[in-house]
Amino acid sequence: MGKLRPGHIIETAFWLVLAGFLYVESFAFNKSIEIYKFGAAGWPRALILLMAIAAVGQLLYQYYAGDRATGSLGAATDDGSEEAARAAGHSSLNWYASTCWLLVIPFVYMRAPDLVGLVVPLDKAGIHLVKLIVAPLMLVLYLLSMRGNHVGGMLALPIFFAALLEDMGFYAMAPLFIIGVTLLMGERRPQWIALTIALIMGVLLMMFVSILYVGLPTGNLTPFYEFSNWLVTVLQ
Amino acid sequence: MDTFANFLNGTIVLFSDPMGILIFLGGVIGGMLFGAIPGVSMLTLAAILLPFTAHLSAEHGIMLFSVIYCTGVYGGAITAILFNIPGAPENAPTAFDGYAMTKNGQAGKAVGAAVMCSAIGGTVSAVVMMIATAPIANWAISAFGPPEIFALVFFGLAVAATVGAKTLWKGWLSILIGLMIAVVGMDPVGGIPRFDFGMPYLLAGIHFIPTILGFFAVSEIFVQAEKKATGSYTAPKLSVNFPSLAELLAHKFAVIRSIFIGFFCGILPGIGATLAAFMGYNEAVRWSKDKKAFGKGKLEGVISSETANNAATGAAMIPLLALGLPGGALTAMMVGVFQMHDMEPGPLVFLNSPDLVWVVFAAMFFANLSILLVGFLETKTIINLLKIPFQFLAPLILLLATVGAYAVRGLVIDVVVMFIAGVAGFFLRRSGYSVAGIVLGLILGKIGEQTFAQAMQMLHFEWTGFFGRPIAGVLIVAGFLTMASSVYSAFFKKQ
Repeated sequence: MGKLRPGHIIETAFWLVLAGFLYVESFAFNKSIEIYKFGAAGWPRALILLMAIAAVGQLLYQYYAGDRATGSLGAATDDGSEEAARAAGHSSLNWYASTCWLLVIPFVYMRAPDLVGLVVPLDKAGIHLVKLIVAPLMLVLYLLSMRGNHVGGMLALPIFFAALLEDMGFYAMAPLFIIGVTLLMGERRPQWIALTIALIMGVLLMMFVSILYVGLPTGNLTPFYEFSNWLVTVLQ
Repeated sequence: MDTFANFLNGTIVLFSDPMGILIFLGGVIGGMLFGAIPGVSMLTLAAILLPFTAHLSAEHGIMLFSVIYCTGVYGGAITAILFNIPGAPENAPTAFDGYAMTKNGQAGKAVGAAVMCSAIGGTVSAVVMMIATAPIANWAISAFGPPEIFALVFFGLAVAATVGAKTLWKGWLSILIGLMIAVVGMDPVGGIPRFDFGMPYLLAGIHFIPTILGFFAVSEIFVQAEKKATGSYTAPKLSVNFPSLAELLAHKFAVIRSIFIGFFCGILPGIGATLAAFMGYNEAVRWSKDKKAFGKGKLEGVISSETANNAATGAAMIPLLALGLPGGALTAMMVGVFQMHDMEPGPLVFLNSPDLVWVVFAAMFFANLSILLVGFLETKTIINLLKIPFQFLAPLILLLATVGAYAVRGLVIDVVVMFIAGVAGFFLRRSGYSVAGIVLGLILGKIGEQTFAQAMQMLHFEWTGFFGRPIAGVLIVAGFLTMASSVYSAFFKKQ
């Protein structure tokens, strides 16, 4: 096994599986182009091949040298993130499983109307109702799942926020997002969190809405859409 | 003499119009601010302003973007040094030593060096741009066809793979991820959709702004969050201690070398300031007797990268104005400004709108000079951002990034893509991969494939044709030699 660890083999397997998946997918556009004999799939397939070669090269190097960096430039790029992960025990299978689950939650929300639609046909009002019911359910699920895995919670929270933006708008969701991030970063003093919300929202709304007239997502669900429009009218 | 008279004329036109002065000052301050605020960049500002330039004259619109380009490239160094968040890919190498200097309590010195070297690199580049635009453009037109541009992209990527990641293979894998992301969307020859998975959004390709924001700004927040959770986060120390003239003079060769590298890289379409900064840094390491000190807070690292990237700004205007070829993201947006005014950048601009060209040249010269003055004043205020505890800064950065990603096309899915890129960047970074390499691959991917296809058609699909063209042949061989020497040092050289 040389200096190989199971993590090295998993890492190589990931790249090879990804390369295999992309290669299979490339058949979907493997069409010839009259003036270009390599066709649409030639360039991506060359990249896929290089990806597989680099993954195998990496494995051979790890067999020979373990986790050692190549050259002083390689060592220079270490920003301490690997060490922080190892120190926190964030390299265990349990942590990865818990984090993956947390990352799935926002996508469950995004696909909820499609999933419900498989059972019950939904019109526009039905889709809105599903979203209004599923959003708090997913939030509770998220809060329960992130206990004991704050870093996983931190990774999933912005995606959850982005998933809610389309339906509930920036103006209503941003203050909740600020609360979530500051809490996950370890801040517990309510007055400081309130001040952060006031300052950040004040700066953002003043700069982008009042001065630059940048249209931020207003959402499309009642009452969020009405709230956003009211706020924009007041600010502009 | 003509050049000086034209420059003088451009200066008079620029500063005799109150609106022009206002736009110039707005561009200088806006570029620096947006470059310096973590999570947003000059590209965010440019993207936000792009629709509004329709209300300005073409002269003012292009001038505004060129000023933002000069000061924004410098401004991005501030966040690279203070927070390890490069404002743009061209500031990524600045972070290698700049952030290490911040952690060593030398933030002020690093920022000071960035101010001075950005101003020197940019101003010299602007002067050379004015003198040499026509002859260099003529040479580039005749000497640089698609085979040469592809060869340069290949050489650039071969060099970049050795910088930024823990191992050479992780460097290549990082670049390959970027190149694969660039493949998504229509193929450049036949317009055939690739890797769209039936999603209309992916037909237009993955936009580089949300991806850059995700890989740099968002992943940095996640890394800091993990460090905070494990108690290994240390707030950077604050100091204002600008480098002495003697210290800068001691690095005069690094400055001169980086000006040459920056200018050469900047003038070539599609390459621009990013490769300039990487090559400036790489050459500094190669020429140094104390290679191991790089990455641990060496002033020369910041000087080389910042001189080179600003030296590329003036040069990048040459292919844009002379050939109509954008050298990077911001110059690509400038093409958009031209088009909004029913104009096409290219040789005809010199004939039809000489005022526009010389106002832009004069504005870029003065914008680079103003980095010295405004940069020193601004850094005394921006540097105080370090005093804000990270738990309060993190939501601000994430929300600014959200607005930046959304403002590009008004699509919430761009925000989702940005955060997914952030999560991917987090996992890749903690496994020793390079997010700067990914972004470089993403930006050079499209031009790489396009020029490869054109080159192969030109060379009748004969691979050996590259070696029949001296510049392309030398660059391809240099790229392979770089790869071979890195593999050799990885396996056989004592570490």
